[in-house]
Amino acid sequence: MKILIVDDETLARERLIDLLNEDEPSYQCLQASNGVEALELIQTERPELVLLDIRMPVMDGLELAQHLMTLSGPVPAIVFTTAYQDHALEAFENNAIDYLVKPIRKERLMRALDKASQLGQAKLETLQHIDTESRSRQHFSASIHGKIILQPVQEVAYLKAEQKYVTAHWPGGEMLMDESLKSIEAEFNDRFVRIHRNTLVAIDAIRGLEKDDEGNSVLLLRDIEDKLPVSRRHLAGIKKLIK
Amino acid sequence: MPEKTETSTSFLPDFCNARMVFVIILLAELLAIVLALAQPAHVQDRLFSLALYSMFIQCISITCAAFLCIFRGKLNALPDNWAATLSFVLIMVIAFTFIELSWWMFSRWSVVDSSLGAHWGFVLRAMGITAISGALALRYFYVQHQWRRNVELESNSRLDALQARIRPHFLFNCMNTIASLTRRDPGKAEQAVEDLADLFRASLQDSHRLTTIENELALCHRYINIESLRLGDRLVVNWDIDKLDQQAVIPSLTLQPLLENAIYHGIEPRAEGGDITISGETENQLSRITISNPLETGERMLHTKGNHLAQENIQQRLQALFGKNASMTISEQEDQYRVTITLPVQANENIDR
Repeated sequence: MKILIVDDETLARERLIDLLNEDEPSYQCLQASNGVEALELIQTERPELVLLDIRMPVMDGLELAQHLMTLSGPVPAIVFTTAYQDHALEAFENNAIDYLVKPIRKERLMRALDKASQLGQAKLETLQHIDTESRSRQHFSASIHGKIILQPVQEVAYLKAEQKYVTAHWPGGEMLMDESLKSIEAEFNDRFVRIHRNTLVAIDAIRGLEKDDEGNSVLLLRDIEDKLPVSRRHLAGIKKLIK
Repeated sequence: MPEKTETSTSFLPDFCNARMVFVIILLAELLAIVLALAQPAHVQDRLFSLALYSMFIQCISITCAAFLCIFRGKLNALPDNWAATLSFVLIMVIAFTFIELSWWMFSRWSVVDSSLGAHWGFVLRAMGITAISGALALRYFYVQHQWRRNVELESNSRLDALQARIRPHFLFNCMNTIASLTRRDPGKAEQAVEDLADLFRASLQDSHRLTTIENELALCHRYINIESLRLGDRLVVNWDIDKLDQQAVIPSLTLQPLLENAIYHGIEPRAEGGDITISGETENQLSRITISNPLETGERMLHTKGNHLAQENIQQRLQALFGKNASMTISEQEDQYRVTITLPVQANENIDR
């Protein structure tokens, strides 16, 4: 069995490797120190099981699990590891997705392994219920040719809805995502502001407001040429924000 | 939680509550009994006067309770002294109404001497009793409320202090590290257990304990030893304390929690880690110690929900010990977060080491 161990602490990873090897030396253990590295390895190495720490820099375990939902093809089973009861984890109490508390006991780890191999694929859908409530992702993701592409949320200048897709724009790039503007607005309500029925703009990317040739208000952005129309409905709010 | 604080800060109890009504009835009846017993010996029908007193006092007290129940929300919005004054006035007005009413009834039935002097004498005596017993009752509620609040505050602050000192994440991650080291490097595991024990011993001691800066820095070293095991080369600590008078007094656990904050907020969220600088100098009998950590520039930090509990706690303790000679300042500049504490140099005569 191929197992990916994701934890930002080297000693925590080594402990898991020790415990796994003690049980079955034939396990093939891979290591990653954060969610972004893990996502890369999951796509190239296709491990069957991921032992995933919740709290990590760059991208934490819960966010990685969220991005994995968009992965096409087999999704690895996930067992979360955590130092202390996280509220977010309570959602999994009775679910296929297991979690282990540190220091991890060998028996408990073995039980989780059994559970994971029995179930084959973990049901990641439950993650959808917790994602928007109290936490927001650090990355947007899109699946392109079966590969997940990540884009740090803080670099995104604006998001525009076109038909059923949303396009994220940032200086020097854009990405088509299978998400709704409404859910993004709800998740990142302190970062993006709505300026039009189909546009969200990053508050800190706003440079100024001006009128175009026809007298309509358009928003100017930092480091990006596009001028975005502001609807009359949102104009007052935007003016207030700029002040 | 807002509901809970509402009830705990208000000094008037909930008079709509059945238990409270029972307490009121009981107190009123006790007053009636006292009054009946205090009657001069020649009064024949003591039981009759008890019945009369009971009815009279119960009517007043239950009406008062009803009105206080209705106006409780409004009264509790006021400062305690205003709420008390208004409640007292309310009680007096209600009592006066009943007293006048009963006088009017008695004089109609002609059971009493209806002269003007007798009337006012009756009113004054009755109002006097009402004023004294009303004030006593309000005082009783106030004292009981204060007592309950003190108990609550004390237990809360103890809990807060404990949680500020021991982060569960730190504790369990540390245990996990030690579990890992016992296999790979027992020597380091031993060291880690010793460091952790010292850290906990310091944490469990009285929070008002004093120590020397030297001891406090030694504790910081132990803490850094543990964190270095977890974070590896992501954590770099720079010391610049040559000019610091290390024999001066400092409240125990002043620097270590600040260092813990610096690592928790400044190093852990960064994949590449960073530098923490501890610098200090003593000049003109004033020591200044600064702990700085890289500031996460990203939109969402890993641990944004710092509640500043540790910082508040430290500031309070510094203030309590040194008054306005000590201070704690926080600054954010050039992607560095800095906490500086300033404290006067005080000799360390009475310190238990």
